[in-house]
Amino acid sequence: MAWIILIALAGAAIARPAADLLGRASGWVTSLVPLVLFVLILRQVGDVADGGAVIETFSWVPSLGVELTLRLDGFSLLFSLLITGIGTLVTIYAGAYFAGKPVADMGRFLALILLFMAAMLGTVLSDDLIVMFVFWELTSLTSFMLIGFDGHKPEARKAAIQSLLVTGGGGLVLFAGILLIGMTLGTFSFSEVLSRSGELVASPHAGVIAALIMIGAFTKSAQVPFHFWLPNAMAAPTPASAYLHSATMVKLGIFLLARFDGVFAAMPAFGTTLVIVGSLTMTVAALKALRAEGYKAVLAHSTVASLGILVMLIGLSGEVAAVATVGFILAHALYKAALFFCAGTAIHATGVTSLRKLGGLARFLPVTAVAAVLASLSMAGLPPFVGFISKEYLFEAQLSNGWNVVPIVIAVLVNAVMCGVAGVVSIKPFYFKSHRVETVKHGETPGLLVGPLLLASGGILIGLFPGGIGDLLIGPAASALYGSPIDVSFKLWHGLTPMLVLSALVVSIGVVIVIWWDTIHDHLRRQDGLFKLVGDGGYHWVVDGTLNVARLSTRILQNGDQRRYTAVVVAVVVAGVAVALLAGPAGLYIAAPEGSLRASVTLVLLLSAAGAVATVLARSLIAALVSVGIVGFAVAVTFMLNGAPDLALTQIAVETLLVILLTAVLLRLPAQQRHSRTTGERRRDAALAAGFGLVIFLAVASMSAIPIDMSLTEYFGQTSYLEGFGRNVVNVILVDYRAIDTLGEIAVVAFATIAAWALLRGSGARTRTKE
Amino acid sequence: MQIIFATMSRLFFVLMIGVSLFMLFRGHNEPGGGFIGGLIAALGFALLAMARDVETARRALVVHPVALMGSGLLLAFASGLPGLLSDRSFLTHWWTEIGSTHLGTATTFDIGVYCVVVGGVLCLVFRLYEGIEQ
Repeated sequence: MAWIILIALAGAAIARPAADLLGRASGWVTSLVPLVLFVLILRQVGDVADGGAVIETFSWVPSLGVELTLRLDGFSLLFSLLITGIGTLVTIYAGAYFAGKPVADMGRFLALILLFMAAMLGTVLSDDLIVMFVFWELTSLTSFMLIGFDGHKPEARKAAIQSLLVTGGGGLVLFAGILLIGMTLGTFSFSEVLSRSGELVASPHAGVIAALIMIGAFTKSAQVPFHFWLPNAMAAPTPASAYLHSATMVKLGIFLLARFDGVFAAMPAFGTTLVIVGSLTMTVAALKALRAEGYKAVLAHSTVASLGILVMLIGLSGEVAAVATVGFILAHALYKAALFFCAGTAIHATGVTSLRKLGGLARFLPVTAVAAVLASLSMAGLPPFVGFISKEYLFEAQLSNGWNVVPIVIAVLVNAVMCGVAGVVSIKPFYFKSHRVETVKHGETPGLLVGPLLLASGGILIGLFPGGIGDLLIGPAASALYGSPIDVSFKLWHGLTPMLVLSALVVSIGVVIVIWWDTIHDHLRRQDGLFKLVGDGGYHWVVDGTLNVARLSTRILQNGDQRRYTAVVVAVVVAGVAVALLAGPAGLYIAAPEGSLRASVTLVLLLSAAGAVATVLARSLIAALVSVGIVGFAVAVTFMLNGAPDLALTQIAVETLLVILLTAVLLRLPAQQRHSRTTGERRRDAALAAGFGLVIFLAVASMSAIPIDMSLTEYFGQTSYLEGFGRNVVNVILVDYRAIDTLGEIAVVAFATIAAWALLRGSGARTRTKE
Repeated sequence: MQIIFATMSRLFFVLMIGVSLFMLFRGHNEPGGGFIGGLIAALGFALLAMARDVETARRALVVHPVALMGSGLLLAFASGLPGLLSDRSFLTHWWTEIGSTHLGTATTFDIGVYCVVVGGVLCLVFRLYEGIEQ
């Protein structure tokens, strides 16, 4: 199984350079990668058909207890097949879609698609939650890059950043939940978490963990209140929208929730929250779908509604709900990807994005039109399509759960809207006479047809012969979700049941919606206030607020005035040390000095104090510099007198260099400039400096009052010659015992210097032009 | 004054480089080491730059200070690799005995530190003094 992810990654690595060689054929050739993976995964079907799982383990970060455990069960098998199967069609379609663009663009796109595919496979196959999280975030990153693929368009950049902030931020919330699980159970293995779910639910963190995981999933799957990013993500090229933002990535949240549904089965609030959030999302998205203008936007809102339906289904309990979830995931992936393909072809051929301005395209794109109709019949939930079967299960799950009537009414209405959307997106642009498009830029090419045709006919084939898919895919997947084998009778005709009545009701309302679409649409477009409420205002409020805080803090702290910086740093040090001294465990403790005063040290310290006073009184900057130098050299002599020749030597050298460097700086400044500070500012400076001196004095006094632990000194003294072959303990520590620290330090010195050097280059050039 | 300073700077420069190398190599047993040695050497070059001009000091250094800094960093890093190979422990030093003196990769490491310090200080000194001359 590890091979599957590795092949996908390798494909991503070579797709970009390969495109230069293959040119226009890239799409077809690249599609071999997902196709091969699809076949490889298909061969595993037999292994998991009985509800079992295939497990592979590699040690990855043993010191952190992170293992690369891959686990393939019925549910991840279904996802893997969708990922690679639709991935194959997406690469073929992308090859044709980018036919008019530079080959480099196509190569970049294909590489990103394959990278995304690898990340998706990693997410659904990993058993270790940390590994899953890494792949999860990788999908957010690739999604970011694909939405922002047309980086020259501002709206694409905006949408990309929005999706990254929402899904990436949600990923971090999820990470917090995963870490809490690890803290509670001591394991990151999902299998173990599942088997010890009782322990997890009983722990005090259970509520927080469930909330964090739900937030992570809601951001990814665009649930209220995070629903706004997905429609904006339609700025991505259409093949990416079809793949990421309808068929696969946005279903990761569903995947996660479905997985954790088993863990939190004993926590009723989990399911209830899902039903409420799912129903809310469905309602909001259905209304927005009716209001949306763009072809892709309508599809995107209906995708959000479908995700809401799935979240609600996971919230319901029982065998039927599990079957309904799995069936709906499959049906939705098939018809929605197909519809996106058709929408992409229509938009690409005409250059028109608004659904209202498209009509009569069937003359130019006959096969696409047929595929769109087939796919939308499945979306509308009509027999004999797979969409019909999945909707029957949806209603059965709802009815058998004994929920009150509100979610059922919502489900009926939302499904009716979906049915209406299905009708409008397939019939209107292709067959309606109004807004007839008279010319198209290009017709259909084989690459543009394979995807929609295969997916749309898949929808009808599975609907007509549901038995095989039911036993091989749906059954194992639903069993994996439910936790024990389910005997699935996935079939088209269930007899005259209440579900059939609801289905009939849905279709009738749907037809009404199709007929009255324009009226409803116009009416909803006038409801600005209502839709502002469910838009992305909250997101902008948070983002703009954060930026304003950043600007404010920059204005206060980073205003470019060196004296302000120094004042802030010194004030923080004074406050920090003062707090540590007064409130710390050691406390303020000053011992009376022992022994007699050493004349030599006293003399040197007096000299240093004189230097300090002279600095403050100095009239010119040069004099001040020299006076500071006196302090520095006095410190060096103090080191020498206390038996630290290494320190003394370094201090002297550094002090000399400082004088040399500062002289160079001062030569650029006016030598005599006394009154750049007001009296008030000078008083504040003096107070800060005095405070600094005071706390440092107290800190040093308190520190030296504590008896020194000599064991390290003794250890280094004894071993430095035997193990490090040097008698200078200081140097042996630097180059041997703590050599890695030293390496880090010289690296920091080097990088900081390069940065300063680059900055000085700029200022030097400015000085020159001024002169 | 200027003439005397300029003339003497050559002598001081040679002396300081000598002292800095002495400091570098005796550092393992006596006060000294790569850091102090590097500072002294940088001072020598800075002296040359102040007394003559930056161009003279740059010529004396032969290589660009940033390049010196980079090679020092590489050298210090590379000195840890033998230990990684033999003991699977990065920066565990190798030693050999020539007469009564011990030589090892720790010395290489110290030379790396020396180069980083010389290069780092001089990149700033040269930059700053170049602006003034013009």
